[in-house]
Amino acid sequence: MEGVVTGNSVRSGPALEPVVEIRDLSFTYRGAARPALAGVNLRVYPGQFLTITGPSGCGKSTLALCLAGFIPHAYPGRLEGTVRIQGRDTRDYPAGGLSGLVGLVQQDPEAQLCTMRVVDEVAFGPENLHLPPEEIAERVRWALQAVGALHLKERKIHTLSGGEKQRVAIASVLAMTPSLLILDEPTANLDPACTREVLQTLEKLKAEQGMAIIVIEHRLAGLAPLSDAFLFMEGGKIVGQAGPGEVQTRYLAPGGGFPPPHRQPESRRPPAGKREPLLAVDNLRAGYGNREVLRGISFSAHEGETIALMGDNGSGKTTLLLALLGLVPLRGGKIRLAGEDITSRKVARRARDMGLTFQNPNHQLFEKTVAREAALPAHFLSREGPDRLAAKVDRLLAAFQLEQYREGNPFTLSLGEKKRLTLVSVLAYDPRLLLLDEPLVGQDGGRLELLLAALAEHRSRGGLILLACHEPEVVVSSCQRVLFLEQGRLLIDAPVAEAMARLARMGRVEYLPAGYGRKKVDGDGPF
Amino acid sequence: MALSEGQSFYPGLTYVENTSLLHRLHPLVKLVLLLSFSLTVFALSSLAGEALLFGCLLAAFPLAGLGPAFFFRKLRFILLFGLFILLVQVLAVREGLLLRQFVLGPVTLSVWSAGLLGGLGMMLRFLNIIGASYLFVATTDPNRLAYALMQAGLPYRYGFMLITALRFIPLFQLELAQVRNAQLAKGIELEGLSPRRLLAAVKYLYLPLVISALSRVESLAISMENRAFGLYPTRTYLDFQALTGRDKLACAAIPLLFLLFYLALEKVGPPAGLFPL
Repeated sequence: MEGVVTGNSVRSGPALEPVVEIRDLSFTYRGAARPALAGVNLRVYPGQFLTITGPSGCGKSTLALCLAGFIPHAYPGRLEGTVRIQGRDTRDYPAGGLSGLVGLVQQDPEAQLCTMRVVDEVAFGPENLHLPPEEIAERVRWALQAVGALHLKERKIHTLSGGEKQRVAIASVLAMTPSLLILDEPTANLDPACTREVLQTLEKLKAEQGMAIIVIEHRLAGLAPLSDAFLFMEGGKIVGQAGPGEVQTRYLAPGGGFPPPHRQPESRRPPAGKREPLLAVDNLRAGYGNREVLRGISFSAHEGETIALMGDNGSGKTTLLLALLGLVPLRGGKIRLAGEDITSRKVARRARDMGLTFQNPNHQLFEKTVAREAALPAHFLSREGPDRLAAKVDRLLAAFQLEQYREGNPFTLSLGEKKRLTLVSVLAYDPRLLLLDEPLVGQDGGRLELLLAALAEHRSRGGLILLACHEPEVVVSSCQRVLFLEQGRLLIDAPVAEAMARLARMGRVEYLPAGYGRKKVDGDGPF
Repeated sequence: MALSEGQSFYPGLTYVENTSLLHRLHPLVKLVLLLSFSLTVFALSSLAGEALLFGCLLAAFPLAGLGPAFFFRKLRFILLFGLFILLVQVLAVREGLLLRQFVLGPVTLSVWSAGLLGGLGMMLRFLNIIGASYLFVATTDPNRLAYALMQAGLPYRYGFMLITALRFIPLFQLELAQVRNAQLAKGIELEGLSPRRLLAAVKYLYLPLVISALSRVESLAISMENRAFGLYPTRTYLDFQALTGRDKLACAAIPLLFLLFYLALEKVGPPAGLFPL
C-alpha cells in the first residue's frame, strides 16, 4: 500500500515537489533473518503533518532512520528501492549530507542533548554547518521562538524539565532549517503536562512553518487534531491509512487508543475501623540532599485495590514508590504493612512483600537470558522450590508473549518487551504489593490489555497495586482510586470518578481521558 | 529523580560559580597560570620557594571568594595525606643533623634535619600542585574551558569529548544509583568483599550501566551527526571567547614572571644549603 498524503490544498498545487518520495523500500539489518521494512511506498509534501503508528518492532523507527539518511550510511544491511529527499536519492548524499534537510528528534530527550547550556545546544548544528556567528544567533533566536522556549535560552540543560528538554531538542533540530522534521515518539518519556507542552509546540510549528512533519507515535489522541493523515504500519509495511476524522471515530473513541473505559467496581475500602489496611502510610517525609521530595504523605490501601499514582514529573511518585520499599531514607513518618510497622525493616525483607518495577527497565536487567532474568528475583525472594518456580516462570513468559525470546539476551528486547519481562520477574515471586512505575510505556494495544488483565488478576487474588501511570484512560478503565501528587504533597486521594472531577475543576485537563472535556466536568463526570 | 538531586561525582572537585577576578579571567590565561605555577613547583629546589608559592596559593583562595575555611574543608584529605608524606620522610630519612629524639618506651624516634626539610618540601610540593589544580577547577567553568580550547585550535572532536563527558557523568552517576536500587529491589545483596561477591557486583552493577551507556551513545551519535557534527573539519562558534590584548600579554608575562621567580630563588635567593630540598 502506498502512503500518499492528500487532502490539503496547501500541497496539492501542481508545481509542488514532494519532500519525501519512497518507492518499494525494503531494508534488512545485517544479520537479521527478516526485513525490518518491506515494500514501503510514501510521498510527503511540504507543509504536511503525518503521523505514523503501529506495534513495537513494526519498522517505524527504521523508516525514520532511512529518511534521515542513517540507513544506509551508518547502519549496515541490505537496502532495496529508493528514498528520495527533495528529489535526490539518499544514497547519493554524502554521509551527514542530509543533516540540513532532515531533522530527527528522538524519544529520549536526555540522550540527544550534547552540551551544557540551551543556547549552546541550539547553536550546535549551525556551528557545525560553518555559519557566521550573526546567522547562528538569528537561527538560535528563531528556533527557540518557534518552540516557545526563548525564555530558556540561558538555562543549563540539567535544570530543565522533560518537556523543556524535548522542546530544546526540537529547537536544536529546527535551527538546521530542515525541510522535513521527524519526531520519533517525542512524548513517550513525558508526563501529561510535558506532553501537552510538546504537542502545543508541534501545533505552533504546523501553523507557522512550512516544513513537512512526520511524527511516529503510539498515543494518537493528542495528534488527531494536528495530523493531515495517519499511516498504520505492521511487519515492516504500511498496512493502512486514515484521515484525522476517521482516526477520531474509528481508533480514538472513546478511549484514545486504549481499552474502552468501563465502569470498574469502586474502591473496596471498607468503612474505617472495619478492616485492617494492607498498607498504611502516615506522614511520610523523604528527600535528596537539601530538597524534600515527599512532604507528609498519608494514605491507606486495602487488598484488592489498584491505585493510580498520578502527578507531573518530579511530583514525588517515583520517590514514594522507592520510599515504600526502603530505597530512599525517610526523614519522618511511618509505614505499616498488614498492621506491622516496617519503617525500619531492611529492603531485602520488604522486597518479599513488595515487588517494584522501575521506569527504565534497562536498570534492572542483569542476566544473560530472558528465562534467567525472569527467575532472578524469585531465586532470592521466593519460598517456592526450583521446579515449581521454573514452571511458573515458563507460564508467565508464555502469558506475556515472551516465550519465543526465552534463551535470548534480555538487552536485545524492545522497550515494551523489557517492561513486560521486569513485570514477569516480579510476578514470579508473587509479592502481595506491586509497586509499578510506568509499566505501560511502549505497550501497543494488545499487549496493553494483556498487562492490564494480569494486574486485574493479581488484584482479584487479594493483591494491592500502586500504579504510577500517565494514561488517564487506563486509570479510568483499570484503577479504583487515584493518589494525585503535586510538589511532594498528596493533593487528591479519592475514587477515580471523584478524582477526575476534581482534576477537571483544577483545570488539569491533561490528566483527563479523551472525551472527558466534552462532557460535564462539574463532578458528575462520565465515569 | 532529577539529575540535580545527585551528588557531585567527585565530592568537592567542582566548579563553584562566582564573579571574582579569578573566575572572570579567560580560561586559557588561567591554564597558562596553572601550568607555569606547576612547572615552577617541580623545578624549585628550595623549601623557601615552595613555602612562598604555598603562601600565594593560600592568598588566592580568598581572592576567588572561596576563603581559607573552604580550602581546609575541601582539601582536608589532601592536607592529611601531605602530613602523612612528611611523617614518612621524618621517620625514614636519617641524614643531616640530629634535631630531636623522642623516647616512647622501648622505641626511640629520631628527627633528622634532612628528613624534616625533605618531608616539608615534599608535602608543600604535593599541596601546591593539588591546591592549584583545585583552585583552577573551582574557578573555571569547564564548558567555557572546552570551548576556549577548541577556539584556540584543539580539534573540536576532542573538545566535545570533554563536553559530552561533563554532560553525561552526572547522568551515569544517577543511573548507578538506580541500578543499585534495582538490585536491592530484587533481593540482590552485594555488600562484603569476598571475590565471589566482587564478581557478582561487576556482573550486576556494571553490565546494566554499560548497556545503558551504549544505548545512550547511539542516540547521542544520531543526534550529533543529524546536526552536521563531523561534516566539516572545522566549525564556527556563536560565542567566540577571543583573547584580548591584555589576555595575550598575560599569557606571555605569566611564564616570564615565574621564570624570574625561579631564577631569583635558585640563583640569588636564600643562601645555599639553608632550605635545600
